[in-house]
Amino acid sequence: MREKIKAILFKLWITLSAIIVLSSVVFIFAYITKNGIGSINLEFIFGKPKGIPLGSEGGIFPAIAGSLLLTLIACIFAMILAISTAIYVVFYCESKKIESMVHVIVQCMAGVPSIVLGLFGYTLLVANLKLGRSLLSGGITLGIMIFPFIQVRVEKTLREINFSLVNSSYALGVSKSYTLFKLVLPMCRADIVSAITLAGGFAMGAAAPIILTAAVIFAPTPKSLSSPVMALPFHLYILTGEGISLEKSYATALVLILLLFIINILSLALTFRRKELK
Amino acid sequence: MYRILDKAFSIIIKLLTLFSLLLLAFVIIFIFKESFVFFKEVSIFKFISGRIWNPLSSPDKLSILNIILGTLYVAFVAIVIALPIGVGSALLLSGYIKGRRRTIIRGIIDILGGIPSVVYGFIGLLVLVKFFEVKFDFPTGESVLAGGILLSLMVLPYIISTCDETMEKVYNSHLSSSQALGVSNNYFIRKLVLVESKKGIIAAVVLALGRAMGETMAVMMVIGNAPMAPKLLGKAQTIPSLIALEMGMAEVGSLHYHGLFAAGFVLMIMILIINIIIYYVKRSISL
Repeated sequence: MREKIKAILFKLWITLSAIIVLSSVVFIFAYITKNGIGSINLEFIFGKPKGIPLGSEGGIFPAIAGSLLLTLIACIFAMILAISTAIYVVFYCESKKIESMVHVIVQCMAGVPSIVLGLFGYTLLVANLKLGRSLLSGGITLGIMIFPFIQVRVEKTLREINFSLVNSSYALGVSKSYTLFKLVLPMCRADIVSAITLAGGFAMGAAAPIILTAAVIFAPTPKSLSSPVMALPFHLYILTGEGISLEKSYATALVLILLLFIINILSLALTFRRKELK
Repeated sequence: MYRILDKAFSIIIKLLTLFSLLLLAFVIIFIFKESFVFFKEVSIFKFISGRIWNPLSSPDKLSILNIILGTLYVAFVAIVIALPIGVGSALLLSGYIKGRRRTIIRGIIDILGGIPSVVYGFIGLLVLVKFFEVKFDFPTGESVLAGGILLSLMVLPYIISTCDETMEKVYNSHLSSSQALGVSNNYFIRKLVLVESKKGIIAAVVLALGRAMGETMAVMMVIGNAPMAPKLLGKAQTIPSLIALEMGMAEVGSLHYHGLFAAGFVLMIMILIINIIIYYVKRSISL
């Protein structure tokens, strides 16, 4: 009897927890969509912020452009380093010690809080290298943030490939770099791209690293790497924090979430396609 | 010709790897370099044991015990709320739900992890803080509790995925013996999977703790940002929010500026220690 009650309580606990988690997701999406959808129109998406204080009217196009550009730079920067590191660990590294050292370091980098990365970007890139608050400084800082994320995923993909193919390639006398470029990387292309897109979404939503390194309250659509930018998360923070316009805040949040949603779906679609090919 | 290319490629790969690993060293060195200036004036011990943070007065008035306590308190509240929910969901996922439905539910949970921190802060400010102010008549809804609830949502995906990983392994490795003994699924999950996944749960807690302590935007928007001794229903401040708010105002090179770096340094060291612990806990699971 007692056992039965325990079993029921246990079932109740795990069902309730899952319900809480799922309903939070639904609530967040429904809440933002319900309040934001009314203010979204072409003028909002393609216009510049207007009104006094700035942002209370008009649109958010410079922020959308800024966010996308920052994400692009971050992805390129992180991708080069992360893929190299993953290739090194899987194909070139011969000592177990170095390999585990690399893993500890990457794990530590994944844990460095984003605001500390912002501080680092601020002192090194903005102040010491005199890049100023700019697209480039912000992009690199975000790139460092998503580097561990991409590295871990790419390494996992590289380890999952069929090594007998790689070994046959070596046995035929094909060089290592040729094998990597013509055999290994094409085999993992979809997974690598999927990891990068996912990381891009992560970078696009982050505000803390760019507060100090890139974002300003108002800027036109950036023309060069050294110009300061607007970014969606920072814009949302300013609109809400300064109480400029609640209506625009909802709409900005909705645009940000929709962009991230598109990115996530792209990444999922890539992974699914690959699974079907297998 | 190919041999040269091959050689060049391997050198490039090695250099890029070295560079990426050095980045962490750069981060630590630069933060330390900037905070060292501060620690020459104020001892580390005084910095982390004093309770007053007032950048406008003399240098001795910069110390962050209250802020460290605030950071730990919010993270602690978040984990107390998130742990039962996270472990429960992970048990449900690993023991009861299979196949396509599982993939979909995991996907929905991952969405929770993909929502930007600013959006959490925004919703926290408009829903949670308002709710406290209107329904419970608190003088201010901006509180440690509000920050903790928001953070618990944000760390849930980490807790669920880490626990689920371990639990699935345990489940699969003992399933056939449990079925052979005729034990009910419910009993099996309760007495064996839950107990055997202890280490996974610990790893999840430590990981979530690190994330929660470093979180900036969401917490900053709902916690009130007052450097007082933290109380559950009162305002408080965390190290990340302190840095994000005051860095823009601090003059480059001033003591205030270096003090903020010192705060960042303290935070980073705490979180690095946590991450090294995670690494070893995780390794002991896979062995």
